[in-house]
Amino acid sequence: MEKSGSSDGRKSGALTNYWLSGLTVGFLGLAIFFVISSNKKSVSQPNIALVDKKFLETTPWRQTYADLVKAKEDLSDYDCYGCHDKAKPPLIRFDSNQKLIIPKEHANIQMAHGAHERNNLCYNCHNEQNLLTLQVRDERNIKFDNIPQLCGSCHGPTYRDWDAGAHGRTSGYWDRSLGNSTRLSCANCHNPHAPHIPTREPAPGPHSLHQDTTHHERAEALH
Amino acid sequence: MISALHNYFVFLKRCGRVALIGDWRYYAWMGALTVVCLFGLNAYAKQLVNGLIITGMSDEVSWGVYIANFTFLVGVAAAAVMMVIPVYIYDNKELHDLVIFGELLAVAAIIMCLAFVTVDLGRPDRFWHLIPGIGQMNFPSSMLSWDVLVLNGYLILNVHICGYLLYSKYQNKSPAKWFYIPFVFLAIAWAVSIHTVTAFLYVGLGGRPFWNASIVGPRFLASAFTAGPAIIILALQIIRKFTTYTVTNKAILTLRSIVQVSMIINVFLLACEVFKEFYSGTTHSASAKYLFIGLHGHYALVPWIWTAITFNLIAMGILVLPVSRSLRWLDVACVLSIVGIWIEKGMGLVIPGFIPTPLGAIVDYAPTLNETLVCLGIWAFGLLCYTIFLRMSVPILQGRLSKLNEGLPEVQSNDSTGKSLI
Amino acid sequence: MNSSPSYTDKASDAAMSRRSFLRGCAAFGGVSALAASLAPLRELGDYTNTEQFLQKYYKELTPSDMTKVIARIEGEVERQYGIRPHVRDLKPMDGVEFVYALNLTRCIGCRKCVHACVKENNQSGSPEIQYIRVLKMPHGSMDVEKGNHNYDDKQVPEKGFFYMPIQCQQCKNPPCVKVCPVNATWQEKDGITVIDYDWCIGCRYCEAACPYWARRFNFTKPDIPKERLNPDMAYLGNRPRKQGVMEKCHFCIQRTRVGKYPACLEVCPVGARKFGNILDPESEISYILREKRVFIQLKEEMGTSPRFFYYFDK
Repeated sequence: MEKSGSSDGRKSGALTNYWLSGLTVGFLGLAIFFVISSNKKSVSQPNIALVDKKFLETTPWRQTYADLVKAKEDLSDYDCYGCHDKAKPPLIRFDSNQKLIIPKEHANIQMAHGAHERNNLCYNCHNEQNLLTLQVRDERNIKFDNIPQLCGSCHGPTYRDWDAGAHGRTSGYWDRSLGNSTRLSCANCHNPHAPHIPTREPAPGPHSLHQDTTHHERAEALH
Repeated sequence: MISALHNYFVFLKRCGRVALIGDWRYYAWMGALTVVCLFGLNAYAKQLVNGLIITGMSDEVSWGVYIANFTFLVGVAAAAVMMVIPVYIYDNKELHDLVIFGELLAVAAIIMCLAFVTVDLGRPDRFWHLIPGIGQMNFPSSMLSWDVLVLNGYLILNVHICGYLLYSKYQNKSPAKWFYIPFVFLAIAWAVSIHTVTAFLYVGLGGRPFWNASIVGPRFLASAFTAGPAIIILALQIIRKFTTYTVTNKAILTLRSIVQVSMIINVFLLACEVFKEFYSGTTHSASAKYLFIGLHGHYALVPWIWTAITFNLIAMGILVLPVSRSLRWLDVACVLSIVGIWIEKGMGLVIPGFIPTPLGAIVDYAPTLNETLVCLGIWAFGLLCYTIFLRMSVPILQGRLSKLNEGLPEVQSNDSTGKSLI
Repeated sequence: MNSSPSYTDKASDAAMSRRSFLRGCAAFGGVSALAASLAPLRELGDYTNTEQFLQKYYKELTPSDMTKVIARIEGEVERQYGIRPHVRDLKPMDGVEFVYALNLTRCIGCRKCVHACVKENNQSGSPEIQYIRVLKMPHGSMDVEKGNHNYDDKQVPEKGFFYMPIQCQQCKNPPCVKVCPVNATWQEKDGITVIDYDWCIGCRYCEAACPYWARRFNFTKPDIPKERLNPDMAYLGNRPRKQGVMEKCHFCIQRTRVGKYPACLEVCPVGARKFGNILDPESEISYILREKRVFIQLKEEMGTSPRFFYYFDK
């Protein structure tokens, strides 16, 4: 009994020695593995391009005539009486469908003011007696640097919002005691002849940390 | 005083010796665990340097397997101490020593919990900000601050109880009742509280309807009291196989009844949850849809949860039948319960809470290799700790490691049949 | 036992010392493997230093402490980017409570606000951090689950949809503040919920708590392109963050606390964004909240009481 016990004990003892030696070798190998693998650079960042600078611009979409004057730009395109006669108001022509005919000299103008082309009459806003001003229905003359008065004569609620700062962007200082704020004129955003804001290209969408979520996800139907 | 300290030092030295000395099976087991631990440590070192980007987490799914494992292990720690109830309340002397094995499991589990939370932090160097008095603890408002307090308190409580009982046994003295019985009762109440506080971490978030439900707390406790005792059942059988410690079948069968009842409650609560989520058809059930049936083409968790539910149902079936009195069937039921509940509490709770995001986006989560190595490393470390605890406590409880045999040749590691004595 | 006890004793003694030697070898191997497993930490670099480690909580910093901290930050930024920034510790203004309103009739979904914010607030480019997320929503619903985050239309706006930018709502009753275990985030007098980046431990509980998905985490060292660095910084605002801490929209605290509009508003081409002091009855934000009829606070049922109002003109 004891003999077999001690021989079992010896066998177990030898196994233990083998295991201990094996563990020593294993640990030292592991140490070498760790040191080598720590020399490799394992993590790389995704390469997300910087957004185009145009999406960081705060300049308004359009420059009004008044902006051009202030900036002392070339105003030769806007010299009405260089072509027109001061004594003769320009004639407006309509075709057989009552549609306005845009003269070829003003071909860059697209008339799209109002639904059903209700406002496609130049002299609703322009003053035929004095092309250098604009006119309102109550026969007030409006200068080109005071456009909101003209637009507001029809678009009352929008004008009141604009006046309070709620329509269109106000930039600069919210705390007027610390600095100035800048209001934009209607024509800084809206083309007076085709005021509907055109669509434009959006800036790129978000990138999730691990997944490529740039594929188009459709919004689900009501469920 | 000095001699008391000296005696304690000798005790610790002998315990340490017992932990480092064993036969080839012991070295194989501990060696394998150490290797896994070191891989985990290496992976964590990489995470410290590179940041949590080398895990699978993102702003959309900002908690992953680390917190999932943490949640599961808090339940195990809580349940381990619930074994204490039959012993002290029903005055069951047979289970008396087993209480120590349960509490040692609780200590190992809490160590793992603390490790999992630490590896999840973005700035672990700022841990001191959590220390009340020195840092800024947002108590009582933040549930995480409660968690820090109760978990550390629980650890200290259990270390005290086990340490005191074992040291008294070692000194061959009878432990002073006032020095541990009140703490035992405190530990019972505390065990319930640690898991409730952890549940409240999730329940308190109104922005996550999947978690903001009153069933989460009870479900946590039910699943903890299933998985925890199941682990102890398996641990006791391992102790029986590898040491000469006598574990009676009565002990195992008492635990079986706890697992049985808890699993039934757990399955019932699951049914309640499923009904609530799917019957009324509100948009708040988006996360539940993602988990159980998939959402908008994303099905990643569906096979996992149904596997867990199948395992739990089979385990429940086995447990209610008398066939589970046979240890082999009981073991099957235990393993199925543990795996099923680990999946339920990990992937089945933490991940769906983040999908879809509060803004409706769906971004999937999958743990990376590095993340998995860290998890395995912490699990291995926990097992390492528990093995060492058992290796010290079994001979002490058997009286073979005692003050009486101090100075004699050290405890033999194997008996004449080759069976490990330690 | 065998007949010659001394031989057996010597043999077993030899066996024991061989065993001890091997145990020592295995232990040595283990310790070397332990040390080697920490090899990646050589790259830790400027993760932290004693000064940063011991830095006090923001609310406990004395003015002279703050001066030292600011000098440290300015030095770090200069070393990393080659530009010396100007970092200020801006306090909230008296009699000011900020409110943001967003006109959903006007927003065209161009995402310029997202990118203006990134530049103004020194957010990481890669990996990408963006405080603002624009959702493309179908007409007829405010259910964000129906929103599309990744729309890549050639032209915006698309008919039948509206666009809803979402950022931190600076809630009156913020869940993120409630759950932070170390008080690293709190709400200031003027309504802005701020983060002390040097106090945050990166547990991400606030990120889980936010019902608006407004908070962002630095999963690695942020990568700010040098040419887009904004040197005009605030301690609680846009100074560069570190790996492992949270960040979010703070209403451009470096601008708004000196009276300016936030960057997202400045760049918005259609003026959909409105911001100001709600305690001032003359401000445009007061006008809007008085005059406009339909208001939506996102997820109002959460009880967060956001300071962000969405409204429609028509």
